[in-house]
Amino acid sequence: MMFLSFITDLFQQEFMLRALIAGVMLGVLAPLLGSFVVVRRLSFIADTLGHFSLVGISVSLFLSSLGITMFFDKPLYLGIMFSIVGGLLIELFRRSYTNFQEISMVIVISLGAALSAIFFSLSKKTGSLYNYLFGSILTVTDYYIYIILITALIVALLFIFFGKQILAVSFDESSAKFLGINVNLFQIVFIVMLSIVVSVLLESAGVLLISSMMVIPVAAGMKLGWSYKSTLIISIIFSECSVFFGLWLAYTLNIPSGAAIVSINIIILLVVAIIQRIILKKRIAKMDKIQ
Amino acid sequence: MQININNLSFAYGTKTIITNLSLSLNSGDYLVVRGKNGSGKSTFIKCLLGFNQVKSGMIFFDKVDITEFKSWTKFGYVSQNFDDFNYEFPLTVGELLQISSLKKTDESTRLKLLEKMGIFDIINQNINSLSGGQLQRVFIVRAMLNNPEVLILDEPTASIDKQNKEFFYDTVEELHQLGITIVLITHTDDIERLNYTHLLSMYGDLTTTFEERGVEISGGVL
Repeated sequence: MMFLSFITDLFQQEFMLRALIAGVMLGVLAPLLGSFVVVRRLSFIADTLGHFSLVGISVSLFLSSLGITMFFDKPLYLGIMFSIVGGLLIELFRRSYTNFQEISMVIVISLGAALSAIFFSLSKKTGSLYNYLFGSILTVTDYYIYIILITALIVALLFIFFGKQILAVSFDESSAKFLGINVNLFQIVFIVMLSIVVSVLLESAGVLLISSMMVIPVAAGMKLGWSYKSTLIISIIFSECSVFFGLWLAYTLNIPSGAAIVSINIIILLVVAIIQRIILKKRIAKMDKIQ
Repeated sequence: MQININNLSFAYGTKTIITNLSLSLNSGDYLVVRGKNGSGKSTFIKCLLGFNQVKSGMIFFDKVDITEFKSWTKFGYVSQNFDDFNYEFPLTVGELLQISSLKKTDESTRLKLLEKMGIFDIINQNINSLSGGQLQRVFIVRAMLNNPEVLILDEPTASIDKQNKEFFYDTVEELHQLGITIVLITHTDDIERLNYTHLLSMYGDLTTTFEERGVEISGGVL
């Protein structure tokens, strides 16, 4: 009964429909970019970029509080710009600490957290911090849907034209130049693309949950996938399931939507891990029997 | 491709690894770089491939200084234990080769290479399920996809069995016969089996010798 009323509301209530449309698009974008992040062993990068995007948002709020609006009345713009700056900083530090790449992320995440705290405090809008930390897909606007749509189109075009190059650099950075790839250029293209997607995700997932939306479906997909393509498809299916059931959970229990989506993601990962373990144990027992 | 190295020296911080190394190779030569672990073989290769920035000495490819050199597709490279490659993420052999060949005309070359290397039937297998020998063949195919003029193989027989080692040496020999310049790095002394034209021995105490099959050209540099 509860589920039926959720489905009815999903298509009758405009805010629910907007949440579903945003969720479906982000459900593809997050694991798609997440798969590259996991391949490159940079799972924390989304968190780091999220923190830097938050700096942009806080600066935007600060400028608005001073009466400087221009395009700063939409914090997402500055969020994207700062996220790109954060991404380029990570790339810069990553090259100086080639054997300790995670150090670059600690530096950027710390700077991001510190600057955000300062500007949120200066803007006297610390009350809005909760929304940016945990996000809310149920309150997204039409304008935000268009932003996701444009982002999805840019990402799709980049993958149609440069997918092979980005994958080759992700899997093996050092050999990519022998394939005729301009490695530095594609590192920057990737980091800029990731920075934009992270900023867009921030609005609905929040700074603290962006990484989970990008990485956990891929972690579950990796357990079942036998190829890159199959892993990606499985990850996207898991991601979409978590969006749909997460919305249902948020609607039914009246809990934050970002948290509900991530919780479903974790449940899927646990179920997949348990099933995989059972299958593995059965196979070993079967082999022991044969021997 | 002509490779000229003049007075190459390299150090990690204050630790000197290579001192005043000079050598020349012509198209179609077959260089074996021999030395124990830690003797500087991999450092030498990293300099040759532009991974290590050379501060002392010069490297030229067809008379072009390495700092100006752009035609890296003329090189095929198989790294030691493929350790730069993330082969823990699911990826099939076919997918790996697909992302490694950027030209559309490579399909027939790819199939021929796979058949020649005896790995045609594992095209749909996940690379993390392959044996060391199979993985090595896959990476050689990948290095050969762009028809390189020079093939660089870093410690290729370190993690494979005797049978695969023999297959590997035969394959290298065949590629050499096709006119490809080979640079093979090995830590074993088992080099008599190899039909090399040049030998660079690195002794681990900064001394090196470079010889053209039996004739010493330079060496004993301290």
